[in-house]
Amino acid sequence: MSDRQQENAVAVGSGRVNPARNGRADGGRVPRIALRDIRKNFGSLQALRGVDLDIYPGECLGLVGDNAAGKSTLTKIISGTYIPDDGTMHLDGEPVRFSGPADARRRNIEMVFQDLSLCDHIDVAGNLFLGREVTRGPFLDRKTMLSEARKMLDALEIRIPRLSSKVAQLSGGQRQAIAIARAASFDPKVLIMDEPTSALAVAEVEAVLSLINRVKATGVSVILITHRLQDLFRVCDRIAVMYEGTMVAERSIAETDLEDLVKLIVGEKDER
Amino acid sequence: MTAYTERSQGSPWADFLSEQAQVLSIAFFFLVCVVFFAMTTDTFMTLGNLLNVIRQAAPILIVAVAMTFVIITGGIDLSVGSQVALVNAVAAIALAAGLPWPVVVVAMLCFGALIGLGQGWFVAYQGIPAFIVTLAGLSMLRGIALYLTQGYSIPIKGVPGFFALGRGELFGIPVPALIAIAVAILGYVVITSTRYGRQVVAVGSNMEAARRVGMPARWAIASVYVVAGVASALAGLLIAARLGSGSSNAAVGFELQVIAAVVLGGTSLMGGRGTIVGTILGTLTIAVIGNGLILMHISPFFTQIVTGAIILIAIWLNTRIFTANFRFGFARGNRP
Repeated sequence: MSDRQQENAVAVGSGRVNPARNGRADGGRVPRIALRDIRKNFGSLQALRGVDLDIYPGECLGLVGDNAAGKSTLTKIISGTYIPDDGTMHLDGEPVRFSGPADARRRNIEMVFQDLSLCDHIDVAGNLFLGREVTRGPFLDRKTMLSEARKMLDALEIRIPRLSSKVAQLSGGQRQAIAIARAASFDPKVLIMDEPTSALAVAEVEAVLSLINRVKATGVSVILITHRLQDLFRVCDRIAVMYEGTMVAERSIAETDLEDLVKLIVGEKDER
Repeated sequence: MTAYTERSQGSPWADFLSEQAQVLSIAFFFLVCVVFFAMTTDTFMTLGNLLNVIRQAAPILIVAVAMTFVIITGGIDLSVGSQVALVNAVAAIALAAGLPWPVVVVAMLCFGALIGLGQGWFVAYQGIPAFIVTLAGLSMLRGIALYLTQGYSIPIKGVPGFFALGRGELFGIPVPALIAIAVAILGYVVITSTRYGRQVVAVGSNMEAARRVGMPARWAIASVYVVAGVASALAGLLIAARLGSGSSNAAVGFELQVIAAVVLGGTSLMGGRGTIVGTILGTLTIAVIGNGLILMHISPFFTQIVTGAIILIAIWLNTRIFTANFRFGFARGNRP
């Protein structure tokens, strides 16, 4: 037992040092988004207690941690929903301060929510173009939207036979794929996905994971929150572990495994 | 790379059936009613009677088309009957005061829009449930109409141009019916093929999603009440023109007929799903039942019972048919 604790203490220790070192040592690359000492309180609750995080273009960062570890708060700060109490945020090297979600979207930060973003009663093409419909005069230009939608889906190798079918008729994986395709088609710099695979069947998870890989390959920085740790190893380049409002560790995929992650998440360091 | 699954793809025919089940079943119901009354009465299928049916159904159809928009957003407008009565009464007062009728018509349509805007503001921007806002409207607007007229019917005299709106004919078809058909076509085109229609459906289907993609979600909700207000004003004018008087007691129970027609047409009270074609068929079904029972010399009180029962049965069948298809369509899917 004491051996393991020792190992953990070391692991956690090095994890804490890593991000700061990465930020400087990687000097050649400018992070797509760089967070420094982000703090956020909700009344007496310290939701985030000084979080540092760098995400690079074309990289997928897995964000893990127990419930209430601060994952969602952090992504909501990145997507402009919450405004941090303290700390700085840089987008492509420029300091930014979002006034709200719309502001963040204007700066090409997109978020995909679990099953919250599609209209069941509108067809696939209509959902892909929701909010930016192509029109000819006063009328919807269905033909253009259908062919453009087909191109959007083809680019991400999403196979949906009939684009005129209602979204309600599709499977969970197809729905999630459409939501991701739509977010990806807004030309995002950062794409945040909160539990994109949690309600999906096995084959659908595979499809969504390979879709994330394809989105990543287009140079988008992806932040993936998930409780399915095995998914992380399929798509992520790095994994950041949060615990009680702090970033306790950052690991590149090559230097970690499932067991290590689980230990970091549950925070056995407390017994130290 | 893993190939994408295609598990939930049924045949297009099954998709079509499940999408159109509501409209198909009300169409079937409508035909059954027509055939039944054609066989049991001598006068039902005469041209004169059919024209009469559509002339009487016109105000209901006009407001039902607007109500379809309201219900697609997940709302409801209980005040349309009172709006009709108020416009009906105010129009008669204005005409009696000697205002030119085209001015009165335009002013009344604007008045209807204004009433709708007020209710829409409460619903969309203040977050008060549509049921409450329009229930208050139902009471207040009828009350204003009663107060203005003191309960009397106000005769309209000497404006043949105005009367033509309610009584005239063009190519042998009553003018109110022509107006109603135009409104229905307009409603169909707007809901299926315009950006505004898409916003209305999106807001009813998933408000949060519509808001997140940057649609003017609140305005879309408020606007459907404006549409309902304008449609009610138009219906009020047609009724005033047909009866040649304005009365605060016009269109009592009108809102229930309208909502029944829309719901009978397969529009979901939960929002998102609804068709103008269904609403047209629903309106005609209710009109045909009312007319047919009178022709059969059945007590007019009985009409209400039969109409209510048929609404219940039709919607029950609708739900069953739709559910069967729903299961079929998703049998191999994995959604709960």
